[in-house]
Amino acid sequence: MATEVIKVTINGKGFEVPKGARLIDVCRDKAFDIPSFCYYADLALQASCRMCLVRIEKMPKLQTSCTIICTDGMVVTTQSDEIEKAQRSMLEFLLANHPLDCPVCDRGGECELQEMTFDWGGLEERFTEKKNYHPERYLSPIVANDPQRCILCKRCTRVCDEWMGEDAIEAGGRGANTVIGTYGGWLDCSQCGNCIEVCPTGTLLDGTYRHQARPWELSQTVSTCNYCSDGCQMSLGSRSGDLMRVVARDRYVNGLNGEFLCIKGRFGHPFVNHEERIRMPLIRYKKGGKLIPATWDEAIRHVARKLDEVADAHGPNSIGVVGSPRITNEANYLLYKFATELVGTTNYTTTDAFSLRPFFDNLGGPLATHRDIRYAKTIVLIGGEPEELQPLTGKQMRQAVRNGAANLIIFNSRRIRMVEQAAQFIHILPGTEDAVVLALADKSHDKLGTKQTGIDDGLFETVRQAIADTQGDVVIMFSGELSPEAQALIAQLPQSLRSDERRVLLHPLPLYNNSVGALDMGMMDTGTSAAQMLDAVGAPVRAMYVVGSFLPNQLHNRQAALSKLDFLVVQELFETDTTAFADVVLPAASYAEIDGTFTNNDGFVQRVRQSIPPVHQSKPDWMITAQIAIELEMNFGFELSASAVFREIADRIPAYAGLRYPVLKDETSPVQAKYKITDSRDLSTELTTLRQRVEAMAGSGEKLSEIPKVGHELFKIGTLTDKVPQFHLLASGNPRPETVRVSPLYQITVDAQLVNSES
Amino acid sequence: MSQLLQIQPLSQPVDIGDEVASFSPEVEKEIDRHLAKYPVPRSGILPLMFIVQRERGYLDPPGVAYLANRLRLRITDIWEVATFYSMLNTKPVGRYHVQICKTLSCKIMGEPGITEHVCNKLGIKPGETTTDGKFTVSLVECLGSCGTAPMFQVDFDYHENLTPQKVDQILDSLT
Amino acid sequence: MFIGAIGCEPLQLARVHLENSRTLEVYRQHGGYEALQKVLSSMSPDDVINEVKKSALRGRGGAGFPTGMKWSFVPKDSPKPKYVVCNADESEPGTFKDRYLMERDPHMLIEGMLIAAFALGAKTNYIYTRGEYRYLIDIMDVALDEARAAGLLGDKILNSNFSSEIYTHTGAGAYICGEETALLSSLEGMRGHPRMKPPFPAVSGLYACPTVVNNVETLTAVPDIIKMGGEAYQKLGTEKSGGTKVWSVSGHVNRPGVYELPMGYDDMEKFIMEDCGGMLNGRQLKAVIPGGSSVYIMRAEQVIGKDVRMDYEGLVAGGSSVGSGGFIVMDDSVDVFESTRNLTEFYKHESCGWCTPCREGTDWLVKVFKRIAAGNGRPEDAQLMLDLCDNIEGKSFCPLGDAAAWPIQSAIKRFPEDFRKHLVRSGQNQERLDEVRLT
Ligand SMILES: Cc1cc2nc3c(=O)[nH]c(=O)nc-3n(C[C@H](O)[C@H](O)[C@H](O)COP(=O)(O)O)c2cc1C
Ligand code: SF4
Ligand code: FES
Repeated sequence: MATEVIKVTINGKGFEVPKGARLIDVCRDKAFDIPSFCYYADLALQASCRMCLVRIEKMPKLQTSCTIICTDGMVVTTQSDEIEKAQRSMLEFLLANHPLDCPVCDRGGECELQEMTFDWGGLEERFTEKKNYHPERYLSPIVANDPQRCILCKRCTRVCDEWMGEDAIEAGGRGANTVIGTYGGWLDCSQCGNCIEVCPTGTLLDGTYRHQARPWELSQTVSTCNYCSDGCQMSLGSRSGDLMRVVARDRYVNGLNGEFLCIKGRFGHPFVNHEERIRMPLIRYKKGGKLIPATWDEAIRHVARKLDEVADAHGPNSIGVVGSPRITNEANYLLYKFATELVGTTNYTTTDAFSLRPFFDNLGGPLATHRDIRYAKTIVLIGGEPEELQPLTGKQMRQAVRNGAANLIIFNSRRIRMVEQAAQFIHILPGTEDAVVLALADKSHDKLGTKQTGIDDGLFETVRQAIADTQGDVVIMFSGELSPEAQALIAQLPQSLRSDERRVLLHPLPLYNNSVGALDMGMMDTGTSAAQMLDAVGAPVRAMYVVGSFLPNQLHNRQAALSKLDFLVVQELFETDTTAFADVVLPAASYAEIDGTFTNNDGFVQRVRQSIPPVHQSKPDWMITAQIAIELEMNFGFELSASAVFREIADRIPAYAGLRYPVLKDETSPVQAKYKITDSRDLSTELTTLRQRVEAMAGSGEKLSEIPKVGHELFKIGTLTDKVPQFHLLASGNPRPETVRVSPLYQITVDAQLVNSES
Repeated sequence: MSQLLQIQPLSQPVDIGDEVASFSPEVEKEIDRHLAKYPVPRSGILPLMFIVQRERGYLDPPGVAYLANRLRLRITDIWEVATFYSMLNTKPVGRYHVQICKTLSCKIMGEPGITEHVCNKLGIKPGETTTDGKFTVSLVECLGSCGTAPMFQVDFDYHENLTPQKVDQILDSLT
Repeated sequence: MFIGAIGCEPLQLARVHLENSRTLEVYRQHGGYEALQKVLSSMSPDDVINEVKKSALRGRGGAGFPTGMKWSFVPKDSPKPKYVVCNADESEPGTFKDRYLMERDPHMLIEGMLIAAFALGAKTNYIYTRGEYRYLIDIMDVALDEARAAGLLGDKILNSNFSSEIYTHTGAGAYICGEETALLSSLEGMRGHPRMKPPFPAVSGLYACPTVVNNVETLTAVPDIIKMGGEAYQKLGTEKSGGTKVWSVSGHVNRPGVYELPMGYDDMEKFIMEDCGGMLNGRQLKAVIPGGSSVYIMRAEQVIGKDVRMDYEGLVAGGSSVGSGGFIVMDDSVDVFESTRNLTEFYKHESCGWCTPCREGTDWLVKVFKRIAAGNGRPEDAQLMLDLCDNIEGKSFCPLGDAAAWPIQSAIKRFPEDFRKHLVRSGQNQERLDEVRLT
């Protein structure tokens, strides 16, 4: 359906614009600048700053262009003495009570109010009265607040409500006494910091970066987040080798996430320059002995010799190679090459929590992009907890419901917070996600599914009907709870559910920044999990090459396996439970120090760019692998360039065919890998197996009624977030400090006990 | 560590705590009656706030927690509303709240004299509470008694055409 | 305090002096609920709207919008519930007529609301009363119970097929909640911020459903319109504004009170000097604010001998407007600088804080007034204030900003000597003040 086109005249020039276009967007699109503070695309209209005034013929008074939908024949003036006076006076009003402390304000240099003031120029200061006073304070360990600087555009309160569904921050008071804040003056929320990001002034401030640097000292590098599988684009701000902060401010970066980031992406970076980073290669010459610093040459030679010895003695399958869903495609690819071409072992895998291999092998429809999710009409979520584990997906879902009236259906064994947005929450028994897939895949199993999930009769039929009634996109999401057969069946659902007026898109919810990429690189092809690999220690595996570390639950009760290895080499940023058993530890460079690519849960292949040089003696993972290979007399031949590795990836892996770094350059239009979509695959065996699986389910147990607490996953202390003191405060329940005027960090002891100001 | 700054009083009430207010069955019934008027519970927020205020003196943290539970709202929702309206108290006030209208008609008909008289009599300034917690005096905007100015309202009771003698009588009769 | 009609038969105030005028019994003895009976037995909703249109009734809340027209904007075919909301937030300084209408004759309001509800197909209706008028809410609740018990409210009213409920609701101290969209926000349990128009409440109001918001006096006029017919009602007033208007008179007159006058009452001078008993203590008239604090202040010279007709057109011609009918009379003891400062403080206190110009502008203006009052005025301050007003007027989100600007603009323009006095007191050159352009 072609959108109708109408004519508008702006400043004497005629334009054709789509019907329904918003005047402020049209003006900006046609390069007529319109100043504004409160207008923010895809948030509820506010129309309170009154900066965007324009003159429209036949309308009384000046009009706010943010609230005007263009009509045919509309004649608009955006520049005139009258308009300039009005706009300048709004700015003057905003500055009246605004303190003139730009020189000490963290936002100075990238403050919209400051820029507007400079742009207008010649602003005479007529306000000579006393300014209203509000003391500075902290709202949480990571949100600092200077209420005096606030211009009440309420972007913060709107993102908190509309993006995050938290409504943790609001305007209190009235008139000139209006202050943005919270009850009790303390923020109990997921601490995403989006309120800080969208604040046009220095009112809400990054408490971890406070008074650390001025924006113009920082070099900005567009890169991809190294936490979850959503793959948010971000700008890394660094100064002389130190990563100072991470933002998604639209002046620096415009990725799939807009200005959205979660707490981990935005505040989880201080591990990069942390003092506990492994500084140099370390060798443990004797089991049970100490790790002793060594040179790179020494260490690489040592590793090569040891691996060679074990392979010679026990055959290639005695070498286990373990990649990681956290490292780049380039690094995983070289590990794959190392394992298959150099060593020739069949024992390789990654430390990912689960594998999406069966899903991708049976893919029956396109992957949904985050944009698709935002504009979807029906969303079905099976298991998972995106608001904690894939926060951007969570945000898109919320906006789809809120701004796009999407119908959200949730199958979950827990009453996750996302339920608040759901039109239908179907509360299933724990561990019965497979039964949901079985019923959705084949309606003859409705009865079985209903019984095993413990839900009311007819619910599967209503869900099927809701999908059938959808005009527009349906997105089906799932997470790690599914068995391989269920993954295969869900992957084929689009084949049976789609129609001419309905796309059915899939959105897997893996846990890590490069879960999908590691899979694409082939590292999960063996079907062996990390735990199985550990169980194979002794026979056949006798030596292991691990990049990253095993997850705590993989290692649980299996430490002995590591100690039994003849030889263990680990590439890591920090000492971990895995390096504790290593014979050689090689210092790896973090995401901020390297070039490469991550593939997110949309299938977008996105660039990781070097922001600072590798800290200490660390090196990119792929380069270390290549050097070990050279020592083992196989030269992969990439010299010092990640882009060359990527070229080979693109040439070898069909889904990546044709991709090059330059093609992936523009974060504003990310490129999706071309996964093979298989039509109507015969899945009768899978169906049978799944049915048996479901029949065998205990079919009893209790539904979990507790609502998971905000941040129970986000604030969890992992190897990386462990290095950020603020996360420890949050993980200890975000205690409200004695005085909110002093950084909470100064109010705790090392073991996160609150300091009493009385003592 | 004793150098840490003290908390400046913010325009916000203190921490919410865990306590939730409870009310007698009659009050609960009254609350039900209000909520029954509206298709959306949130609409009942102002009437309920007045009830909590009547029962507990002001919107104290347990009262706020009660409201949030009862109306299925977040604490922030209660806070943003409570601080918007001038009749809602997020801090304790005296047993009798003397609210003197200071807007134009009252002003020109003798409000300044009445305010002075009240303040002298009680020994406090507008915005303050007597030490025994009995009286709070506030200057408020037009209360719709312009034709019978000057006036004040003690809690919800109108007292109009005030003279110093009448003020004495009224305040003296309050126990 | 006087309460009664001058120059016409009392309509709105017909029963105020009767004993027990609040009771259903007295109301019915004096023709109460006959209009409702008539509507239910012999009229269609469109008939009602047409009568109201013919009556040339204009909203009495301040904006003066033709009521029949407002009612006709409600979409007939909307499947959503519809609401009639009575605006009893009466907080405009100088206005207290709604208070007495409700206090003395609550059933008149109930009858008017029910007729409106019938015309618009509303099943649920609310009376939003300012929180300070708690005793009126109690009065209304008693009256509503009476009406319910008598089959005049609730299911199958007067045994017809028409059912409708009315509930009272309380505000909690916020002038802005008198603005109809802010009132709806408040009724939904939000902060009382105004909302964007369009959509107008008639299309998307309370709970995003079609809603008519009318002032108390507007609704209480409806029973009489039905009883006497729209045309007859209109004839009581002028062609463009029909019927009678209730004025709240306060300030320096001998007989302040609630006055019902025919629209187009001739003239304002007579009204003050005779009807209201003349100036208090025999002092000189200095200024009149005829329509509540939000209208232009008039100088005595604009009233004395000027034959100002008291209706919408007459007052505009005379240099002000009807507004809410809050008629404040000031004698020569009043310093208009101080009175304007007083009102500006009111607007600052009541600005909801949503939009920049009103929030910051009123705050700034109050600070300027304060500085001048403290003896630190500057000759350019008058110009500064006018410019600030100009920057607020027409740019604010809702009319409160305009309402804050108008008193100042008119006061500086019409009483320059009172402002000059304060600027001169600070010992600065006064010539420049004479140059101040006041238009
Ligand atoms: C700031 C402001 C305050 C208002 N206060 C009141 C009020 O107290 N009572 C009232 O009836 N209308 C008030 N109004 C007018 C209402 O917005 C609305 O026009 C009126 O309720 C419509 O009813 P009517 O058509 O019967 O006059 C106010 C308007 C503004 C802008
Ligand atoms: S003009 Fe603006 S700040 Fe003032 S009351 Fe209206 S919306 Fe609120
Ligand atoms: S952008 Fe239009 S009013 Fe703020």
